[in-house]
Amino acid sequence: MRTVGKRSFFLYVLIFAFCAGMIFLSCRVFLNAGEWASMPFNAHLYDENDRLRRGSVYDRNGTLLYSDADGYAAASKEALLHLLGDREGNLSTGVFSLYAAELSGYNPLTGNAREGNLFHTKTELTVSAEASARAYELLGGRSGAVFVYNYETGEVLCSVSTPSFDPDHVPETIETDEAYRGAYLDKTISESFTPGSIFKIVTAACAIENLPDWESWRCKCSGTLPIGDDCVTCLGAHGEIGIRDGLKYSCNVVFAELARELGKEKLRKTAEALGFGRSFVFETAHTARSVFDVSNAKEIDLGWAGVGQYSDRTTPYHMALLMGVIAGGGKSAQPYFVRKIALSPGVALYTGAEEDAPLNLSPQTAGALRGMLRENVSDYYGDALFPDLQAGAKTGTAEVGEGKEDTAWIIGFLQNPKTPYAFAVVIEEGGSGYRAAGSVASEVLAVLCAE
Amino acid sequence: MIELYSIGKEAACLNSSFILSFFMRGRFTALMLLVHLLAVALLIHVIVRCFVSLRRGRRIQEAVIYLSKEPGDEKIPVLYWENSIGREKTCDILLSEPGVSRDHAVLKRREGGWIIADTNSRAGTFVNEQKIETQTPIRPGDRIRIGEAQLVLTARDEPSQTAPQRKVYRGGRTIFTLLETTAVFFLLTLEACFQNQSFRLSPFLPFLLLSTLVWGVYLYSIVLLKRINFEIETVGLLLTGIGVLLLFGVDPQTAYVQLAAAALGILLFCAILWILEKPDFVSKLRIGFEVLGVALFAATFVFGTVVNGAKNWIFLGSLSIQPSELVKIIFIFAGASTLDRLQTHGNLIEFIAFAAVCTGFLFLMHDFGSAVIFFFTFLLIAFMRSGSVRTVVLAVAAAALGVFLILQFKPYVAQRFAGWGHVWEYPYDSLGYQQTRTLTYIASGGLFGSGLGNGYLKNIFAGDSDLVFGVLCEELGLVFALAVCSVFDLLALYTLSDVTRSRSTIYSISSCAAAGLLLFQAMVNIFGVTDLLPLTGVTLPFISAGGSSMVCVWGLIAFIKASDERTYGARRRRDL
Repeated sequence: MRTVGKRSFFLYVLIFAFCAGMIFLSCRVFLNAGEWASMPFNAHLYDENDRLRRGSVYDRNGTLLYSDADGYAAASKEALLHLLGDREGNLSTGVFSLYAAELSGYNPLTGNAREGNLFHTKTELTVSAEASARAYELLGGRSGAVFVYNYETGEVLCSVSTPSFDPDHVPETIETDEAYRGAYLDKTISESFTPGSIFKIVTAACAIENLPDWESWRCKCSGTLPIGDDCVTCLGAHGEIGIRDGLKYSCNVVFAELARELGKEKLRKTAEALGFGRSFVFETAHTARSVFDVSNAKEIDLGWAGVGQYSDRTTPYHMALLMGVIAGGGKSAQPYFVRKIALSPGVALYTGAEEDAPLNLSPQTAGALRGMLRENVSDYYGDALFPDLQAGAKTGTAEVGEGKEDTAWIIGFLQNPKTPYAFAVVIEEGGSGYRAAGSVASEVLAVLCAE
Repeated sequence: MIELYSIGKEAACLNSSFILSFFMRGRFTALMLLVHLLAVALLIHVIVRCFVSLRRGRRIQEAVIYLSKEPGDEKIPVLYWENSIGREKTCDILLSEPGVSRDHAVLKRREGGWIIADTNSRAGTFVNEQKIETQTPIRPGDRIRIGEAQLVLTARDEPSQTAPQRKVYRGGRTIFTLLETTAVFFLLTLEACFQNQSFRLSPFLPFLLLSTLVWGVYLYSIVLLKRINFEIETVGLLLTGIGVLLLFGVDPQTAYVQLAAAALGILLFCAILWILEKPDFVSKLRIGFEVLGVALFAATFVFGTVVNGAKNWIFLGSLSIQPSELVKIIFIFAGASTLDRLQTHGNLIEFIAFAAVCTGFLFLMHDFGSAVIFFFTFLLIAFMRSGSVRTVVLAVAAAALGVFLILQFKPYVAQRFAGWGHVWEYPYDSLGYQQTRTLTYIASGGLFGSGLGNGYLKNIFAGDSDLVFGVLCEELGLVFALAVCSVFDLLALYTLSDVTRSRSTIYSISSCAAAGLLLFQAMVNIFGVTDLLPLTGVTLPFISAGGSSMVCVWGLIAFIKASDERTYGARRRRDL
């Protein structure tokens, strides 16, 4: 009897295997349940009319942007399409895709099968529908992006990407028509552009950190800077000029010369510290990488790279973040646009939180750049652009070649304590940064500051 | 508009704006969640009570009688119902005197008293100096000579306490546990009544039938047979009821078939208990069982019908049965053996041949899931009988070779399992379709489920059979499902703790085989649909839709029930 008893031990192995398997399974469910529950074939995600259950979505002022019953709000449906997402799920960086599980009421405790039948979710975004609609209108059919966020809290106030389309009536020619090229991309984060002159801020940051006498540094601008057989051209002949004025008048010679003097290694280091070469996590989406790669650059290329041409690329999100870090004295909150997702009885499923942005800029350098950028507006562009807002900014007019018009940029920040906003506007084939992008930024900020 | 169903059929409609508004305010969801939580708590309590009662109900393992050695006053305690006597270290009663064989004799207790049987020893066994040829009853005071060892059978000091000492859990507590079980059913029924935000009364019909079954079994076993243990039946009925109510949400017809099969299964359960009462008699039936098993398989092979690629169904009119399920019980009967038989007929060849025929038939029928289960049960029984690791290793090696050959000649078999481990790469074809749906709906159900009847997984192919674990999780939640699954583990654990206390090795072996089979089948099913193991079409015991499977499962837990020595205790008390 005892022998038979001893031989039965192999049931223990089985019992252990079953327990281990169940524990492993439970852990796997616990870790992946959100992803699994938001699979498109999950029937719990759909309402009785076979529409995805997303509850209702509001902007920062309580304006309804979307509800299961009424669909997209007419006033902002094109402007906020990229932040919300389309019906078909082609826009993968919108709240509908990023938070599909939460929007269906999913939570690890009760899943999304029980509530689904009776509750619906209420989502609050941090953006302003009015400002976004205005931005969309101002872009006026041109391809581009507007991104504004509060660098103290991280709340995104406006994020618009064009071209966009009416999600209720998706144009049949969306795949073929040149006018809709990139409509499925959120250009604030998913497309990188040649920065042009706005990159001079990075070169300036490198100079401030590496040249002890940067304030008294001078060079002579005669309209061109010959390097080898080639030359870096400038829009004017600025004569003897320093870094501060060079940034103000956007002198190419100053920054090409600085790039040569500082060298590849130092520039690369500063660019990397300021977020080039990496991707940012915006909510849970990954942004396109900003590029500063001079590893194979010739001397002339290095010169152009220092003024934001060559192979330099960046995203509006990244440039706004850089402005936020400069305005915040080396620190900014990381941007987010989903404030809260709650079940309608008030149980929060997700709450956006403040986090620091991952850029490294010393407070001294940030302070110096802040002063220079503020002077750009007060002494050069004119405060009429951003009345009473103590703005600092830099425009850019980036050459893209291929016979295309220049890409227009303006990036900047407001130092007004009530409206600590950082912004970036880009317009493809917009021409002059100051005229094209500046006017858009000016009006969008005026709407936001009036709220 | 809220539809009110009369029992059984849809009938009158009731327009009740009050109930509607109650639904809409979400309080109703909170209320149903509360009902569900109460059901979960009661379920766990019933399971815990049953297993605590099983453990506490066991006899304290102490000597029942003694063998006094002469000369001298050494008293050897006799601990078990069947004891091997011999020179081998593994023997229950170890005698090192000259002339004692390795496995010399077996001393066993039966209804009428103690019996000694010689197990082909060289020198023979003598009772009162008479060489014994057959099994010989002995009484206290009888002298036994084994080799040069002289032993006297001695009763325990206090004769009044010769009966095994036990703590008895009497009817009152069993009634309470059973009331709780009924309460679990009631709460689940209540949940089912409010399916899809409308109210209907129809789930009360299966509830009433279930309750009748539960209390009918109780009356038969406790009142009529005066048995004192009811735990195995309670957990069996509990799981059966959960399965029936779950299936009612899928299709009422299936649920009623399931209920009828459970009733049939309980009859089989009683029949097996009746057959198993005389272990030596069961040993004699072995050949008959083996012939019946092979005949059943052969009949299936000839007259069977192919369903979902496996030819393991026999259709008798509108009745369809899966004979391979019934052969599982026969298989265990054929494998189990009393200790003296084990020592005199220890040879495994006959059983190996039987197992090979069974597994072979299943392979030919393309029922790979069942083949794996039969093979595993064979390993369990073979090891329990022989203790030979070599046999197990050889068998596994042979099986591996077989599988290898099959894959060589029929590569499409392997193709069926190609999605294993990465089903999320195949969510829209047959390699991962069922598993990904199962995982998604398990996730959707969360800890407390969608409420009985509100799930969607049941609409996927095989939702009520192979994928039923997913349906359980989706509709009743992960906590409930884990509690249900813990029963399989606890049954095995209990079987283990009772293995040397049962009345014969025939019970030890058969109960271990049955518990192991149930647990293994549950593993193959649950881990198969959740992509921890390849997906094969086996059922989840008690829960999956399937009449033959339900009947078989009740037959299997009869073996576990039989290994509990209290099962036949009441009757034995009457005899004394």
